[in-house]
Amino acid sequence: MDQSEIDALLAGGAKSPKQPEPSAPAKDPVIAPPAVTVAPHSEPQADGSGHVISELDTVTAVTERESNKVMDQLDQIGQLVNRQQRLVTEIMSNEGAQAPGVQKAILEVMSASKEIQDKVFEAMDLMQFQDITRQKLERILHHLRQIHDYIVDLLGTGLKSDTQRPSISHTIAQTGTTPDENKAHADAVIEAFKTQKKG
Amino acid sequence: MKILIVDDSSTMRRIIINTLSRIGYTDVVEGDNGKSGLERLGQGGVEMIITDWNMPEMDGLEFVKTVRGQNPVIPILMVTTNAAKEDIVEALQAGVNNYVVKPFTPETLKEKIESLLG
Repeated sequence: MDQSEIDALLAGGAKSPKQPEPSAPAKDPVIAPPAVTVAPHSEPQADGSGHVISELDTVTAVTERESNKVMDQLDQIGQLVNRQQRLVTEIMSNEGAQAPGVQKAILEVMSASKEIQDKVFEAMDLMQFQDITRQKLERILHHLRQIHDYIVDLLGTGLKSDTQRPSISHTIAQTGTTPDENKAHADAVIEAFKTQKKG
Repeated sequence: MKILIVDDSSTMRRIIINTLSRIGYTDVVEGDNGKSGLERLGQGGVEMIITDWNMPEMDGLEFVKTVRGQNPVIPILMVTTNAAKEDIVEALQAGVNNYVVKPFTPETLKEKIESLLG
């Protein structure tokens, strides 16, 4: 397997360059199947597609953008609930709303609003999964790049992957999506460190 | 109190900003890596730093070391996915005052901030 075949494999879906050429040129160049082209080296395609690393980069960028849209929606829900609470508070002070039954109903509405607000905050906090997933993908990208660069070294052809990447976690595989699952462990390490420093 | 948040994930910065506003801290400035964090810090007024570890250009550990070279007292809280014991110790040795592993609850962030400011 030479470098162009490796790049084709990494490009995901591109055909092998060793496929036989058609014996005769297509009669109609307009409807002729596109010529099989393979990226000559490891750089991402100009349109960001066709390369597994740049495609994974695109995935992380898109999920971050879409996560921000979800956050926008949650922000708006939070603002609407705030507005609702203000309106209900105003109604409460009206003379016509002083009947015990009405007051009880208003308090129930207020309590439900508070619950919605809490759920909105909880949903926002759960969006941390996006960053954790992104970092897990970074870890996978790191391994792919190592394999790619190793093969480039081995064959002495092609270009190594670019180096401007975020630093990556060494232990991301153990990082889950349950909030505070590592809190006790981290606090214990901090405590031990401080005790050792004092001693 | 002005708090500097340094994280390359805009989603994570929003989550932290949101949590801070719920516990009464609304004066926030942001950086998306260590370099931009240092720039924001250089503009003055920052009284506390919350930083991620894994970032492009300048990671959180290098950022913390640089900050500590200039300012040995500003409280620094590291919020990261790095959960290994050696990572936590390395961050503490670099100069962070406290450490939170993602994902966190707002209560944890509040507890850590209050312990740093207390």
